[in-house]
Amino acid sequence: MSETSIALALEAAEARLRSILQTVPDAMIIIDERGRIESLSTTAERLFGYEADEACGRNVSLLMPSPYREQHDAYIGRYLETGERRIIGIGRIVVGRRKDGTTFPMHLTVGELRTGDRHHFTGFIRDLTDQQLTEDRLKELQSEVTHMSRFTALGEMASTLAHEINQPLTAISNYLKGSRRLLERMEGEHVEMLRDAVSKAADQALRAGQIIRRLREFVARGESERRIESLPKLIEDASTLALVGAREHGIAVTFRLDPAADLVLADRIQIQQVLVNLMRNAIEVMSEGGSVRRLDIATAAGPEDQVEVTVADTGAGLAPEVARQLFQPFVTTKRKGMGLGLSICRTIVEAHGGKIWVDSPPGGGTIFHFTLRAAADDRETDDA
Amino acid sequence: MSKAPEVILLVDDDAAVRNALKFSLEMEGFSVRLYPTPEALLAESDLPAGGCLVIDYRMPEIDGLELVERLRHRGVALPVLLISGRVTRSLRERASGLGIRDVLEKPLSDLAGSIRRVLDDGP
Repeated sequence: MSETSIALALEAAEARLRSILQTVPDAMIIIDERGRIESLSTTAERLFGYEADEACGRNVSLLMPSPYREQHDAYIGRYLETGERRIIGIGRIVVGRRKDGTTFPMHLTVGELRTGDRHHFTGFIRDLTDQQLTEDRLKELQSEVTHMSRFTALGEMASTLAHEINQPLTAISNYLKGSRRLLERMEGEHVEMLRDAVSKAADQALRAGQIIRRLREFVARGESERRIESLPKLIEDASTLALVGAREHGIAVTFRLDPAADLVLADRIQIQQVLVNLMRNAIEVMSEGGSVRRLDIATAAGPEDQVEVTVADTGAGLAPEVARQLFQPFVTTKRKGMGLGLSICRTIVEAHGGKIWVDSPPGGGTIFHFTLRAAADDRETDDA
Repeated sequence: MSKAPEVILLVDDDAAVRNALKFSLEMEGFSVRLYPTPEALLAESDLPAGGCLVIDYRMPEIDGLELVERLRHRGVALPVLLISGRVTRSLRERASGLGIRDVLEKPLSDLAGSIRRVLDDGP
């Protein structure tokens, strides 16, 4: 073939590709083996808010939020090295990031194209933001969390009830106990009968206490299963669920994850529930108003095997008197809602041996903090 | 001559609980001072050298453990009994980390007995 005919063949192939990219209804992105974007379809341009010209040649990690952004090159590297498929040909729900910094859930399928010894990867992306599909795909995760949430709400009710009823029972049984002492020093015709009646009344107060305790134990039974979990993965899963609809409210989401805050000892579903709760609250608060709408999720390794997670919003903030009581059951700033969400969060975090608290800085916004116990990475220590 | 009654300092945000415990402890021969909030105890300038603190765990602003932590920072070494409507293993662990002698679950059928044991053990 002459040079001219090769050039013509190439041009024709490129024209075909361009035509495909312009008409394919799905968002489609082609990258090379170093992760650089080679081309993207018109739908992908619209979806991510980048023109082909500005995206081509840049690393595809541009289109994902942290921490995937930092790790994507390593994902490709690992695949090229081991051939182990984690997404290629499988398809997964992941989080995409638009040019304006907002994120959205998307379904990603990756195909591989080999020409000679070069690899290309083709990503097909379906935006899950508005679709029925979102609900279907998230249903499983959601029902798991919702089930847990109802379960814990019941447990929380029982525990609140137990606390509230134990207070008057404490008063009753101690008044009776004092009265019995007093009666021991008294003489008279009816004193013996009175002593007997007071003792029996005290026994009944204690019996009521035991019924309450049994109810609480029944609800709490087998609720927690703690394992070593990856904190970034917990946050990833929780945010996939929690961030649905964040974009509609114009909320930009940032993740700042400390690589040193990795493995934690946690009940996966419970901690996800805490994260989902805090993130949904933040989104709800910010969708009420304000020009800056930013949700920031951060982790930090702390002293004494603790890791700290913060969820910060740029909403209206909290009045100090509300902030102090926020974790009490039945305290709420919402018109709808029972005020159990944060109380459940506190129960869960404390059951994990952590603490949860809230800051409302003078500049506005609200920052929720909670701590978890870091788990030693046995794989590393064994090798050492 | 009988010796002066031991002083019990009691912090609980529930008035009925406070008054009932005062009544039953006084019937057992203790002298009882009541504080409706942790702040009220922290504001107390005249803490006795002996006796015992009885502190409720769940209170709205400063919880019982935090109160004990603050008292320890001030050098208050009085023995402490924590009382709570709900006693979990994690609460016991955190309490014992602060040197709290015992954690008792309400409705408290024998607070006086627990106080006597703590006082007999000495500081």
